[in-house]
Amino acid sequence: MPELPTVAIVDDDEAVREALGDLLMVSGLTCHTFAGAASFLTACTEFHFDCLITDIRMPGMTGIELIERLHVEGAGLPVIVLSSVLDEQARAHALSLGARAWFTKPVSDERLLGAIATAIDGGRGGGQ
Amino acid sequence: MTSPLRESRDHDEAGIAEFASESIVILDESGKVRSWNPAAERIFGWPALALRGTRIADISPSPADERRAWAHLLQEGSWHGRISRYTRDGGIVCAEVRRHLRYDGTGMHCDVIEFAYPTRDSGETQYAAGPVPDRTTAASWQIDVSPAAEIIAQIAARAGSVPEDELRDIYSRLVERALIVEVNERTARLVGGNRGPALLAGQSVAAFWPVGSRGILAELVLEALRGREGKVCRRQLASDGILRDPLVTVWRAGRAHSGRLFIAVNGAADDDRSYLFLRASEARYRKLIDYMPVALWQVDASHMGKIYAQLRADGVVDFERYLEEHPELVELAAATVNVTDVNRRAIELVGGAGVQDLIRPVGYLFAANPAALRRVMIGRFTGRKNYSELMKLQTLDNRVLDVRFSVTYPEPLLELDTTIFSLEDVTEQLRMETQLRQLQADFSHAARVSMLGELASSIAHEVNQPLAAIVTNAETSLRWLGRDKPDIGKVEQLTARIVASARRADEIVQRVRGMAVKQAPAPVELAFNEIIQESLLFVRHEIETRSVRVRTSYARGLPPVIGDRIQLQQVVVNMLINAIQAVEGCDEALQEIALSTGTDEKGDLLFMLGDRGPGIAPDHIARIFDGFFTTKTHGMGIGLAICQSIVTAHGGELSASNRPGGGAQFRVILPRAGRFAAADQIAGRPACAEGI
Repeated sequence: MPELPTVAIVDDDEAVREALGDLLMVSGLTCHTFAGAASFLTACTEFHFDCLITDIRMPGMTGIELIERLHVEGAGLPVIVLSSVLDEQARAHALSLGARAWFTKPVSDERLLGAIATAIDGGRGGGQ
Repeated sequence: MTSPLRESRDHDEAGIAEFASESIVILDESGKVRSWNPAAERIFGWPALALRGTRIADISPSPADERRAWAHLLQEGSWHGRISRYTRDGGIVCAEVRRHLRYDGTGMHCDVIEFAYPTRDSGETQYAAGPVPDRTTAASWQIDVSPAAEIIAQIAARAGSVPEDELRDIYSRLVERALIVEVNERTARLVGGNRGPALLAGQSVAAFWPVGSRGILAELVLEALRGREGKVCRRQLASDGILRDPLVTVWRAGRAHSGRLFIAVNGAADDDRSYLFLRASEARYRKLIDYMPVALWQVDASHMGKIYAQLRADGVVDFERYLEEHPELVELAAATVNVTDVNRRAIELVGGAGVQDLIRPVGYLFAANPAALRRVMIGRFTGRKNYSELMKLQTLDNRVLDVRFSVTYPEPLLELDTTIFSLEDVTEQLRMETQLRQLQADFSHAARVSMLGELASSIAHEVNQPLAAIVTNAETSLRWLGRDKPDIGKVEQLTARIVASARRADEIVQRVRGMAVKQAPAPVELAFNEIIQESLLFVRHEIETRSVRVRTSYARGLPPVIGDRIQLQQVVVNMLINAIQAVEGCDEALQEIALSTGTDEKGDLLFMLGDRGPGIAPDHIARIFDGFFTTKTHGMGIGLAICQSIVTAHGGELSASNRPGGGAQFRVILPRAGRFAAADQIAGRPACAEGI
């Protein structure tokens, strides 16, 4: 029996983190939340994640820097961006580095869950 | 001040005659006195005001001689000879007299001019050279005692049976009722303060007669009324501070004027400088005052001074409270403190037609602002030298002006008890100040909006976070509710989170709205540490995402400051944004802003904000507070200029320097509450009621 897919959530905003965690839980996914990119990278060494949902504007390492880092490491972890930032350049950059989707907050649950499902299945998820 | 206050000093014969050593008298064609010069007063004893309108033959012991002389004069056009004439004291003076008939433009004779000098019995003349010195001229009065007729009748009815202290009281009432009909210049000068003789007419004799000798005056009046017509009653008085050993003479006016009496007071004034010298110097002074560009009122509040002295003697200390309990005293002052003189500018200012419109009780100056009169009274009671405040003045032509009202109180030891009011019209000045403040408020609002623009993406991000959480939580709730067995506990938890996030979004919106809305500044007492904490909320997101370290050091027990919360937040936020931008792009180690509060050596609030950025270029340091000076590509350059104008309006100082270790440092000093009456300046109201 395959394990339930595990999703990592990186967002500096606690309310957003908790809300996403609950949504994934009710949808039958396991998830871990992180307040910043650094703590997520540390956890990566110990745990396996099937998908990453990350914010862009965060203190310390930004979402873009995190995506660059994962790309360089060739981790192959599907990444979905969920941000308030309306920066077309950053969006194009993230997608070019292999991000599966870029959603602007707030996002509808169906679209987000759809994107996660696609990402985990290994299919290619579209942009927003 | 202005001439109408005094009888106009016509440059006619009468004016010239004043300086003559001869008696010069002008008679009309029927032989009645028209004019009687000071030398005539000296020689014959009669004051001019008592003889005007009297037939000259009436004071001759030999009317038949007078008739002959008159007939000769009319026939020949002139006459000279020796006459004798009754003096006021009942004696007879012989005089060498020349009379000339004068003609008007049509050739009709119009009057007679008489020159005379006295001769002794031996026939030798007594000639006193030079004009009659003012000090030897009698201070003369014509008074009307008919308003006191009832009192006089009462005294007559109870003759001899009135106890002494009651009598004293009755006498003083008699003098109070008696009215002045006319006084001469000397009387006006001696007792009228700066009023001219015309202003004394119609007033109570008691208002000008020294208190100490009112009883004696009443006795003389009664004596003169009882005696036959022409009887002269006199009494030597003790020196009263006005005249040395004055001699008072009272006699009845002719039958045509029953109830009228004449009074002549002879005595040397303490100041025996020549009257002419004084008059010339006074004329110069009056002219100067009259043309002064400041509106001036001379006020006689001497009777209030006496009331205050009495109240003080009665132990009144808190006069402010006393006046609250006795508002009638303020009303009394408004109705009885008289304006005695004003200058031209004063008439212009209140829109009067002439001096007479302003010469009345001071109440009209305080019609729009009765409380101001109360403060003026308190100022005098408490012994201040002067007092000033801004007040509204309702003019006689019903305009309302803003004026700076100043009062100079009389010096207690000086002889004259005169109070001077000066009023300066500041309506236009206040209007411009209001406009300027409005302009400044508009600019600071514009600067705030522009500042919010710089923070727009931060703010959007900040508001978006709770909104995103709300949407997700709500959708999650729906999923729980959609299950066959809804998990109500979970839904409850999610709903609580929705509420919390909605509140958070609301707080952010409120904060931003406070900055964005244009509202009148509202000065209140503030804790500056709170202002800094609130300001940090605005830039929290900027600080966090840029990983700028903020070190704060809040001093405890800081004095509160008076100010507008939003404007002061604007100053701090603006400085914070500048600092964040200054350290942006620096090494991570230098991305630091230090905030600290404390007090300066005067106990005022001190706020320092420093960064470790590149600092201010030396050639910029003098200009960074100038409007439209900026080093930013997108900046308008009004931020710091506005900050400085806000701090200045709060009575404080904003300055900038470079830190020794690198980076810029801004220093704000704000006066502690109570030291600076900034409230009015910030709120755009004129400051009120400070002493000068």
